[in-house]
Amino acid sequence: MEAFLGNLALGFGVALTLNNIFLCFVGCMVGTLIGVLPGVGPIATIAMLLPITFGFDPTGALIMLAGIYYGAQYGGSTTAILVNIPGEATSVVTVLDGHQMAKQGRAGVALGMAAMGSFFAGTVATLFIAALGQPLTKLAQLFGPAEYFSLMIMGLVFAVVLARGSILKAMCMILLGLLLATVGTDLETGQERMTLGIQDLSDGVDFAVLAMGIFGFAEIVRNLENPETRDVVRAAIGRLWPSKDDFRQSYFPILRGTLIGAVLGILPGNGAVLGPFASYTVEKKIAKDPKRFGRGAIEGVAGPESANNAGAQTAFIPLLTLGIPPNAVMALMVGAMTIHGIIPGPQVMTKNPELFWGMVASMWIGNLMLVIINLPLIGLWVKLLQVPYRMMFPAIMIFCCIGIYSINNSTSDVLFTAFFGLVGYTLLKFGFEPAPMLLGFVLGKLMEEKLRQALILSRGSFSTFIERPVSAGLLLVAVVMLAIALLPSIQKGRDEVFTE
Amino acid sequence: MKKLVLALAATAMMTGAAQAQSYPNRPVTMIVPFAAGGPTDIVARIVGEHMSKTLGQQIVVENVAGAGGTTGITRAAQSKNDGYTIMMGHMGTHGAAPALYANLKYDPVKDFEPVGMAAGTPILIVGKKNFPAKDLKEMMAYLKANADKVNQAHAGIGAVSHMTCIMFNSQLGIKPTAVPYSGTGPALNDLVSGQVDYMCDQIVNLVQQIKAGSIKAYAIATPVRSPALPDVPTTVEAGMPDYQVTAWNAIFAPKDTPKEIVTGLTDALNKALDDEATKGRLLELGGVLPTKDERGGKWLGEFVGKEVARWTPVLKDAPK
Amino acid sequence: MSDQVAPSEDQSRGLIKSTQELGAGLFLIAIALFFYWQGLDLPRGSLRALGPGMLPLALVTLLGVGGLMMVIFSLFEVGPRLERWSLRGPFFVFGGIILFALLIRTCGLMVAGPVSMIFGMMASDEFELKEATIFSVAMTIVCILLFKTLLRLPIPVIGTLLEPFFPF
Repeated sequence: MEAFLGNLALGFGVALTLNNIFLCFVGCMVGTLIGVLPGVGPIATIAMLLPITFGFDPTGALIMLAGIYYGAQYGGSTTAILVNIPGEATSVVTVLDGHQMAKQGRAGVALGMAAMGSFFAGTVATLFIAALGQPLTKLAQLFGPAEYFSLMIMGLVFAVVLARGSILKAMCMILLGLLLATVGTDLETGQERMTLGIQDLSDGVDFAVLAMGIFGFAEIVRNLENPETRDVVRAAIGRLWPSKDDFRQSYFPILRGTLIGAVLGILPGNGAVLGPFASYTVEKKIAKDPKRFGRGAIEGVAGPESANNAGAQTAFIPLLTLGIPPNAVMALMVGAMTIHGIIPGPQVMTKNPELFWGMVASMWIGNLMLVIINLPLIGLWVKLLQVPYRMMFPAIMIFCCIGIYSINNSTSDVLFTAFFGLVGYTLLKFGFEPAPMLLGFVLGKLMEEKLRQALILSRGSFSTFIERPVSAGLLLVAVVMLAIALLPSIQKGRDEVFTE
Repeated sequence: MKKLVLALAATAMMTGAAQAQSYPNRPVTMIVPFAAGGPTDIVARIVGEHMSKTLGQQIVVENVAGAGGTTGITRAAQSKNDGYTIMMGHMGTHGAAPALYANLKYDPVKDFEPVGMAAGTPILIVGKKNFPAKDLKEMMAYLKANADKVNQAHAGIGAVSHMTCIMFNSQLGIKPTAVPYSGTGPALNDLVSGQVDYMCDQIVNLVQQIKAGSIKAYAIATPVRSPALPDVPTTVEAGMPDYQVTAWNAIFAPKDTPKEIVTGLTDALNKALDDEATKGRLLELGGVLPTKDERGGKWLGEFVGKEVARWTPVLKDAPK
Repeated sequence: MSDQVAPSEDQSRGLIKSTQELGAGLFLIAIALFFYWQGLDLPRGSLRALGPGMLPLALVTLLGVGGLMMVIFSLFEVGPRLERWSLRGPFFVFGGIILFALLIRTCGLMVAGPVSMIFGMMASDEFELKEATIFSVAMTIVCILLFKTLLRLPIPVIGTLLEPFFPF
């Protein structure tokens, strides 16, 4: 305990220097900005800002870059709530109920609750990292390919529960997402799969390209054709601040979401991505009236947002303690650390304690800053919704185009986004929902990779998934959850099954 | 109208000519064919920063990742040869690519003006913590005896860890089970937790894990030991002298870029490599810098030819 | 979507009880067939050693079955009709994006911004050329300041075709 407090004191000593507070603030500001701009992700920005940090000391540089990262996570939720565009896989869930709330004039409430849930989650996650970071990495090492595969299967069950309408349609969308994830070069043989001979598809479809098309552009076209739906957003804007009732409804979802997100974030195989989905599933399943979900339930924003932020923080654990980056942004952080002469790995904690604990402490400060920066902005964001749609949509369009282009400096990515916009529009017309498809897509890549790795390692024996206890446990949970998800509706008769 | 177009074209040509004289008068784009944050990107950014000072114009790194780096190099090869687009080529894109990609749209030898070698990172042979071999000789014997049981990890077809391990396996004459991962991170994770037995990769990715004792280093594939890991023997010392591999990164310009511009870039690169701070940064990565003889475009041009000739037979025969 | 289920005149429908469901099913079947055809050449491997083609084949099959189920249900289950499709929105919005893609490298954001935005704005029935021009030029300037100056993204502002005319 003493060591724990001593470490935190050391960390705050480093993070609370004027210089580092300033860098943390700049990082959070820039992060919020790029997070809010639809389509512009943290990767391109961090890469571009890297050279500027050359002049700083490594701790300061990393504090700023980390600020950009969680600032962007945070800003991404704002866009998800306001204009229905998930900038990252983790904000797909926020779109579901967050944007519905905005349409009902409750954007301020949704944003406020997201901010407070995130802050709480960030605080808990910081303590979590400080207290348990080191021992928890041992847990992560229990996860081999077989365990990850079973975890992904569990994730797919979440996707079924996510569905708002027909379960059959949701399942088909998951399949379509999984199918899209198989496009690109085969990992094992290097063979090109279903790329239609287009070279730019050889690395598969980018998440942002798909999400921006299916959600962003499809939504624009749909809004343009029925003026009623787009006017709803502009109509009566209610209170800016969550009411007592809103708080009461959100306490437990925030707590549960934080816990779920923090635990999943530790897994070095990008477990954080499952956090919001898992939290949403839990909330929907234990809610008295699950029908409210997808129609503006505040628990559907508070829980997943907390899970998202908690996961974003604990994702630093595998990076800082193992030196293994769980996702693309973290891989970039490895690059940033390397440029500053610190190669992340098991030794950072003992060799550079100021850096390690300084970063941990700055995470909490960063979270505090995000709340300070964002709460006053809520009024402004809500006002933005009143911009006439004929000006709003071209602005969204150009931001998305620039953002997509700058992911990989590729014009074909922009063209693919237009194509997926068309596909998304068609899917909407046929009554499909895009969210399960995106989850399928995100999980698909990892799932196939892990499935094939597990089978290579077991020399083709499927029993590996059951023989390994952790994997078997996860599969069991998945089966139970699927049963819980399907059984009540099956009893209610077929009518209900397919419309819930 | 016609006159106007002609006049415009004429001014365009004149300004173009004027531009060549005072190169560079706007930022230079350096295409890095891999994602930001990887070893090649880091080398490009460190070297590029100092070159910007010499050239008096910023070098902007543009990451164009895809297809083992060939997407970015293809784009760079096809861009205007006015010196405002250059690229950071790599062992993969300018050595192994012709063997790995049947419909490659460029020729590493003919389609570029070599500017010079920037820095390379040596390859290490590593095994999991409890791999039953004390040194490289024991490892070689164990691998030969248990070739059907061992699992070797790599970071995907075309990755450095994939190519270099194929070279290692082919020199040993074994065909172990190769487990593909979608990047160095996940592959290394499974090596640390003991799911796979061994792999080969760049020193920068491995050095911390080796120092912490979570994986075992058997040899480094360079003629001399690395200051970053002074206890790790070279392949020459450890008994596999023919296994010499460095993941090199070098700057190229598109074909027929004016000679003065290429020489100017070579000078700027050499100045960067002579700068103590830049050198220090690169060495911290465990990088190897080109010796005086290995600098400049002429040496690089010949070197690329040798690399292509060396990799092609190894990769063509290898099981994919 | 399920909010719109079952308008009252449903009883009078003919063989097909839900045109939306039928369309959805057929669309899925079409996608499944397309991907099946694309994946025909891929080696499937065996269950013991999965090849690149195995998973796509399994997914395509399941997707096709799902589509077929939807087609069958559409004959028995009363559901929403297919909504009207508009051409104007998709044409101008996606056209605008395509214009952006075509112009960004050659003419830069300077040209690609206004052109794609003005074209896209024509999707709205409240389109006015003057307003659109002023708005799109202003937005382009904002974008240049934001992305180029502030965030330093390597997005071309001038473009390769126009570069010779801006010798600075």
